[in-house]
Amino acid sequence: MDLPSLPLPEGARRGSLACVGLGMTLGSHLTPLARSHIEQADVVFAGLSDGIVELWLQRMHPDVRSLQPYYAEGKSRLETYREWVGLMMAQVRAGKRVCGVFYGHPGIFAWSPHKAVATARAEGFEAHMEPGVSAEDCLYADLGIDPGRFGCQHYEASQLLLFERRIDPTAYLVLWQVGLVGDRSLTRFQTGPAYRQVLVDLLSRDYPLDHRLIVYRAATLPIEKPRIRRLALRDLPRVPLTAEETVVLPPLRPMQPNLAIRERLAELDRASLLDRNAAEASFGAQAAARPATDPANG
Amino acid sequence: MSDTIDLLEAIGRDASLRHAPAHELQQRLQEAGASGALKAAASSGDASRLAVEFGPKAMYSPQTSQTFHEDEGLGEEEGPPPLPSPDPDSDHAPPQP
Repeated sequence: MDLPSLPLPEGARRGSLACVGLGMTLGSHLTPLARSHIEQADVVFAGLSDGIVELWLQRMHPDVRSLQPYYAEGKSRLETYREWVGLMMAQVRAGKRVCGVFYGHPGIFAWSPHKAVATARAEGFEAHMEPGVSAEDCLYADLGIDPGRFGCQHYEASQLLLFERRIDPTAYLVLWQVGLVGDRSLTRFQTGPAYRQVLVDLLSRDYPLDHRLIVYRAATLPIEKPRIRRLALRDLPRVPLTAEETVVLPPLRPMQPNLAIRERLAELDRASLLDRNAAEASFGAQAAARPATDPANG
Repeated sequence: MSDTIDLLEAIGRDASLRHAPAHELQQRLQEAGASGALKAAASSGDASRLAVEFGPKAMYSPQTSQTFHEDEGLGEEEGPPPLPSPDPDSDHAPPQP
């Protein structure tokens, strides 16, 4: 719905929205700019995964409102996410500087911050997203993976089940939210071994069941270490798994050279070499034909 | 007794503490007057030991689902999303197709 642009009353201030990331580890990842957004806000909303981290955030601002109470067993998470957007936007429309603080990066696996920023901008408010250190960032550092080395595919595990996707077993495959894979109701916070077995059956089209994978969780508090478990694909349904844990499948086999494209590129190289040689020969001939110039006269 | 949240933040932001060996961190926490719960959590690497001090805080992991069911009305089947519109304050317009 298009809302008319109304003139502000005298002295009224336009609301604004900043969605920032707190990073993954308390004290380690909060950027100076994200902290500044928090401190300068009129009201702060917190979408965090740890109660102690939420207490830490409360030290930074006197009005921190947790978004946790809007979750409930049996309630659609989509409804919860929409409520979050509504809560933030209500304060923006009331002329407040609003800061939404989310764990990790506010725009990675995070529908509400994107939606809130888009909604605020569509209504003419200033809105901004400030990146944070994400679980993915920590994963690369803690597991020693460079996504540029072999490539890296990321999927929400349920998406891999619900849609036709193409897995490339020569790249890393990173699966998020495996702990609740296959929950189509959006109301559960865990599914279970039978649902994970469906995932394993799907993956077994591309990977042998003894393919070693990694179950990873970043440190939330700085007294923790990252949790890293290695197991065979066939064992994935049987291990305890939380929503915070991520499953990484390393490449199964080497990348295959694309011989046709390589030959096409080689032809381009040869053609450009011929062009360069021709240009150099032409330049040499012109220089030889040019009369000698007195250096004193330029 | 020192404040546990302050000490956690200090550990998180100090390179010599964040990756310190357990015995060294214990010594530093002892010197700083850390609570028993924090010392126990730090020595074991088990954050749940802090529940003694803060109480059990069951938290849902936020934003766990991004793939929504078709009948939720978010339109996954409508094709790829449009290119993001440029931030009016930004000098960096997205490349034109």
